[in-house]
Formats: sequence, C-alpha cells, structure tokens
Amino acid sequence: MGRKELRLVVVLSVISILAGGVLAWVSSLTDPRIQAQAELKKKAALQEVLPDAFAFQPDEVLLEKAHTAGYRDLVESYLGYQDTNQVGLVFVADVKGYSSTVRLSIGVSMDGRLSGIKVISQAETPGLGAKITESDFLEQPAFREATINDQLAVQKDRGRVDAVTGATISSRAVVRGVNQALAAAKLFLAEAL
Amino acid sequence: MRKWEIFKNGVFNENPIFRLLLGMCSTLAVTTAVVNGIGMGVATTMVLIGSNVIIALLRKAIPDEIRIPAYIVVIATFTTIIDKVMAATTPDLHQVLGIFIPLIVVNCIILARAEAFASKNTVLDSAVDGLGMGLGFTLALTVLSFIRELIGTGTVLVAKDFGFSGITLFPQDKGILLMILQPGAFITLGLVLGAINWWVRKREEQKNG
Repeated sequence: MGRKELRLVVVLSVISILAGGVLAWVSSLTDPRIQAQAELKKKAALQEVLPDAFAFQPDEVLLEKAHTAGYRDLVESYLGYQDTNQVGLVFVADVKGYSSTVRLSIGVSMDGRLSGIKVISQAETPGLGAKITESDFLEQPAFREATINDQLAVQKDRGRVDAVTGATISSRAVVRGVNQALAAAKLFLAEAL
Repeated sequence: MRKWEIFKNGVFNENPIFRLLLGMCSTLAVTTAVVNGIGMGVATTMVLIGSNVIIALLRKAIPDEIRIPAYIVVIATFTTIIDKVMAATTPDLHQVLGIFIPLIVVNCIILARAEAFASKNTVLDSAVDGLGMGLGFTLALTVLSFIRELIGTGTVLVAKDFGFSGITLFPQDKGILLMILQPGAFITLGLVLGAINWWVRKREEQKNG
C-alpha cells in the first residue's frame, strides 16, 4: 500500500471515528428523554383505555394463555387496579397495517365491555391510514358498544365498524387487534367468574 | 453583498424543488399537511447547514477519491442527530414523518450542495448556501402541503405537537381526498411547476423586450 492509499484510509477512518463519537454523545443526551417519552406514552396509553384504573400490573400468564388460544398479535397484557380492586384488563397488540406495524392498546372493563382503544404507534400513510389514531374512528358507536361476546368487522366485511375513508386495510388491522383482545379478555373473565 | 446573492440563489433562482427538481421523493411523500412539510423542511435545513459547514471545513483535508463516502458519513451523522433530537422533543411529528427523517441522508439536494458548493467555498459562504437552499426547500414544501392539505381535508395547519387543531375552511367530506393521496402530490407539483415556469418565462421575455 502506497502513501497515497494510506492517506485515504486514515482520513476516512478519522472522519468515521469522529462521527461515531459525536453520535454516541448526542445519543447519551437524547436517549433518556426518548425513553421517558415512551414510558409516559405507555402509561397514558394504558390509562386512557381503562380510565378507572390507577395502577397497572403486567400479567404474563394471561398473555401466554391468549397466545395458546391463537391470539398471537397480543404482545402485552396488564391488569388494571383501582386501589386493590381489579377494574379491568388492558392488552397491547401489534397488528400488521398497510405500511407499518400498528401498536394498539385495548381496554376491557370487568363487566366485559370494551372501555377504550388507543393507537400507541404507527407509520401508516399520513392523512389516510394515519387517521386510525383519531377519535372519530376509535370512539365510534361500533367500538363504544362492543363487548367480549362480539366479533367486530368493518362495513366492507359486513360488520358495523365504519372504516377510515381510503384506509380499509389500516382499519381492518385495528379491528383485528380489538377482536383478539376481546376474545382474550373473554377467556380471562370466564375464568374469574 | 455576495452572501445575499448566495442566499437568494437557494431560495429563488435555484430553488431545490421548483427550479432544480431535487429531493422529489420526500417532497411527494410528506407534503400531505403543512406541519409535516415545515417539519421536514426545517429538519433538512439543519442537516444542510451542518453538513455544508463541516464539509467546507474539511474540504482541503478530504482526498478527491473518497470525497463521496466522506460526505455521506458527515450527512448521515447530522441526519441521525436530527432524528434523535426530534424523537426526544417532538414525538408526534417524528412519528408522522417516520421513515422520511432517516431518508434525509439520500436527499439529492444535500449531496449536491456538498459536491457543488461546500467543497469549493469558505465555511461562512457554505453555511449561507445551506440556509438559503434549506429555506427554499422549506418554502416549496410549505406551498405544496398548504394546497394539498387545504383541498384534501378542508383544514390547514393542524399541528398536534404544538397543540394547534388547525383552521377549518370547509368540512372534511367536501374535500378531495385524492389531493392527499399520492396522485395529489404529482398533480399539485406539476401545476405549481407549470405556473412558476410560465411566470419565469414571461418575466424573461419582458426583460429581453
């Protein structure tokens, strides 16, 4: 290797090492905040779909049971408590949307009613699929009145759920997550009663 | 005086989108809402200024043979910084822009300015060039996204991160959904480009008498 080639290697290496150092430093500044944001969002996402609960306890057994029963999109499950009383369940589901994986939290109260749905994260088409995050969609009557005995579907599939215009696939993804959460909640509630 | 010329060049004469037609990919993709357009524009401007300054600083140290990989490392570094800062400070906007933030790395306009300007000019001139080009890019994105968001949804300037629910000019169901779909991006860009070309030509004809 001649002097000239050596210079190329050294210059590019130095630039890359400096870039790596700068990134490590920036990362050390921003990562705690990004994590804090995510935690905050998570807690809010659980609280929002089960407003009666103040504390949430992860429940691995329930999650495993749901997986065994075939509800594989559910990735986390929580029991929601108000003081020591259990007031409901919250599931987190990862469902395949149109252009991204949509992460949802779904709350079910102890009397078997769907208490709320929230989209935690998604990267669907802005202005279209991304509208599954809006209350116009998530708080429609078909969802508000749903119970663990229901199997929901969008109107195109002869159901009652009014899909977001131009975003049937994204809407279906939400419905699929909700159905799995309702079914898994039914397993749990049948046992508890 | 020269600084002003460099600045004006980026915003008007060589506007990255309307005159050079660079960075079309993110332009077509993110101009569905004004806040997305401005967010993308500001993020790109930051990367442009940062990479222009560093590349101008290093222009004598970087051998010709490896200039492209060296530029890409610098640009990627700034893009990652912006990506992380946005995730930490404006999580909602970061979520909406999603993949298009990391893709700033491959926005042609940034490599083009590194190669055509920053590698041959002083640090200060390069910073001004980055600012001008970035503002030109932001301005163009804002114009396009304003038209698309307005016609597509009836509401403009919806900005969740800043707690602003937008100005509704007509109800959503009267909007033309096509405008915020992909075809709307091409139609809007085409019409705006046509209008600008017509205006520029007319002005030139007048000047030449």
